[in-house]
Amino acid sequence: MIKKKLTLNILLFLVFSDILETFTHFCFKKSALVGSGPDIKSFADVLFFLRVAFLSPFLWLGLFSVLLTFIIWSTILSKIDLSVAVPIASFSYILVPLVSIIYLHERISMLRWIGILIILSGVIFVCLSSKEKESLLQ
Amino acid sequence: MKEGLLLVLFLIVLTSICDTINQLFLKSAINSLGVSLSANLIKIIQFIFRLARLPRVWIGFLFSVLSLCIWLIVLSQADLNFAFSVDSMHYIFIALASQMILKEKVGFRRWLGTIFIIIGIVVVSLS
Repeated sequence: MIKKKLTLNILLFLVFSDILETFTHFCFKKSALVGSGPDIKSFADVLFFLRVAFLSPFLWLGLFSVLLTFIIWSTILSKIDLSVAVPIASFSYILVPLVSIIYLHERISMLRWIGILIILSGVIFVCLSSKEKESLLQ
Repeated sequence: MKEGLLLVLFLIVLTSICDTINQLFLKSAINSLGVSLSANLIKIIQFIFRLARLPRVWIGFLFSVLSLCIWLIVLSQADLNFAFSVDSMHYIFIALASQMILKEKVGFRRWLGTIFIIIGIVVVSLS
């Protein structure tokens, strides 16, 4: 019997997979910026763009990060329900603004804080729903 | 302009559906292996290799590539904030599909949490 309980470990895994996914987007964006020259008008332009992008170390870093995310995400899914894992992964909507505040010194508007709080309460509800099920099983 | 908006909306729904299908295939493949992993690196690597031999995982992967391609088209047409807030509906698809296809028990609290997350994402994206 597979236990489907949400532990702190899995939660940490989820946060880590979120961070990794953000990092992937960052790498892909970086490699795309390297390749961006004139507007892409023809298929030859697309090929040229891809060639330059593939020469960028950021692209390979991004692909490696995709692989790592897949491994971590699969491990998570072997432990908990899909309908729990996916909502909790929305944590990145909270992480990204927090990182922007701390490292980029961006200002976050009142409305955005409210949105973050709503997401956080949603994540807490989903976490609780997983515990609820566990207690029913026992 | 109205027509363009409809097309973008359609594409966002399509990318959400592709993403949901990808997750469904992956989760059902993992369920079929029926293992519960501990924090053991060798076990995890063995598990990933077993997983990679299942065709379902690769079908899921194809859908995720498709979803990414459509998403790139969406981003070239629409505002990121708008795209993100509409895309948050995929949480509903995931919850529905988990309940109906994977037979997960999505109770009241989980639905409530999911809906809160969607509202939150829309607020964050539009602010």
